[in-house]
Amino acid sequence: MNVCLKICGDLLDAVRADLHRPHSFAHERVGFLLAAAASDGQGGIMLLVRGYQTVADDDYEWHPSVGAQIGSNAMRKAAQASYRPPSAILHVHTHGGRGRPGFSRVDLDSAASFVPGFAETAPRMPHGLLVLSNDSVHGLLWAGPDRPAFPINSFKRISAPIRADWSDK
Amino acid sequence: MSWLDRQSFLGPDSDQVLQDLTVGLVGLGGGNSHVVQQLAHLGVGGFVLVDDDVISETNLNRLVGGTLEDVLEARPKTEIAKRMVLSVNPKARIAFHQAKWQEVAEHLRACDIIIGGVDRIIAKSELEAFCRRFLIPYIDMGMDVHRLGDAENFLVAGQVVLSSPGTPCLRCLGVVTDNALTDEAAQYGDAGGKPQVVWPNGILASTAVGLLVQLFTPWHGKPVRSAYFAYDANEGTLVSSDRLRRRAGVACHHFPDTAVGDPQFDIRLLFDNSPADCEEVAASAQNSPVGWIARFAIWLRQKLSSR
Repeated sequence: MNVCLKICGDLLDAVRADLHRPHSFAHERVGFLLAAAASDGQGGIMLLVRGYQTVADDDYEWHPSVGAQIGSNAMRKAAQASYRPPSAILHVHTHGGRGRPGFSRVDLDSAASFVPGFAETAPRMPHGLLVLSNDSVHGLLWAGPDRPAFPINSFKRISAPIRADWSDK
Repeated sequence: MSWLDRQSFLGPDSDQVLQDLTVGLVGLGGGNSHVVQQLAHLGVGGFVLVDDDVISETNLNRLVGGTLEDVLEARPKTEIAKRMVLSVNPKARIAFHQAKWQEVAEHLRACDIIIGGVDRIIAKSELEAFCRRFLIPYIDMGMDVHRLGDAENFLVAGQVVLSSPGTPCLRCLGVVTDNALTDEAAQYGDAGGKPQVVWPNGILASTAVGLLVQLFTPWHGKPVRSAYFAYDANEGTLVSSDRLRRRAGVACHHFPDTAVGDPQFDIRLLFDNSPADCEEVAASAQNSPVGWIARFAIWLRQKLSSR
């Protein structure tokens, strides 16, 4: 299934700026994109980003094995934001650098834990996981908690110029 | 050597970017008949062509590509546009719909950009609203002939507007107004054919194509996502309108950022529980432990059911 994720350039810039802010003990910041959805008329899905939910400094917790993680408060806020209007939640963080980023085992394990929760709040919507680099992006989407993930295979940054790879150049 | 070599200044990857583009053209009369021709020459690869009308004799003064034979055959404007594209680029991907755009709107959702060649103000307004909902940049073209006083003098004028998500819309810029909509509604069915000629359409269409190109394969460092060009055929001028400058830094409140997508969307309706569907999805998953578990579950289910 084709999945296209579209975001306005200004919002993407704001997301990147937020994720690059240093935190007192978390090496990587995370956030949540909130997206509307629609069929693309060709059997695929379009996700249209309508907002971004930052994670407050206090909502990071120290974790002995991974260093830091976001706590239940951050998840609750994201789920609340996705409730009305119903929105897809895309957990997003950045690995920096250039080129197509990949997910770590920790990223994928955490998705397995939060996707069912989000699906419970907004069952009509798919939910997913994104990782950014400074000029690219990679994403997975779940159509439901008991369904396998599938890749988001098209990204469009709506700005000037319009870019298909979420780069800013 | 490629047929697009002479436009390589559009960027090293411009051939591919243009080839990958899908442009929606709504209304294939005077304005968009020029646009579709130019896009074909540029090497744009994908088209969604929409117009419910067939060519008539009074279209021949301006519909580029239309012939007397087309009139005699009452050929749909979509077919004429398709023929025009394929005569330049036989590999183009073309979907065409002889229908009102609202009836085939779903087929326009995946377009990278939509260019409207629609006369009525209400049509401009509705088409722009559709584009905003699916984060699609919209280029509107409009041309009018106005009588100057009682004399046999006329003003030929028009505008081209690039309306992207987050930028001033046609209402912000005064192209769509309540008064214009009211006047238009009052004249409905009584307006007759509006005066139209070929050369202003050509200028407006070329301007629209230039805006599209700078958006996807910019040839300079300052591409714009919002533009308003006003054309005065009497003065022979095409200028960036003050209306846009006056809106600089002012947010559009007609289309909130949150008003996107399909409010009725339900992902669960896209999937039935057939193993084939699950298999297809599972096969496309990459590097996902959840995907591996699902594939294993499908394999196990198939093994058990084959016993």
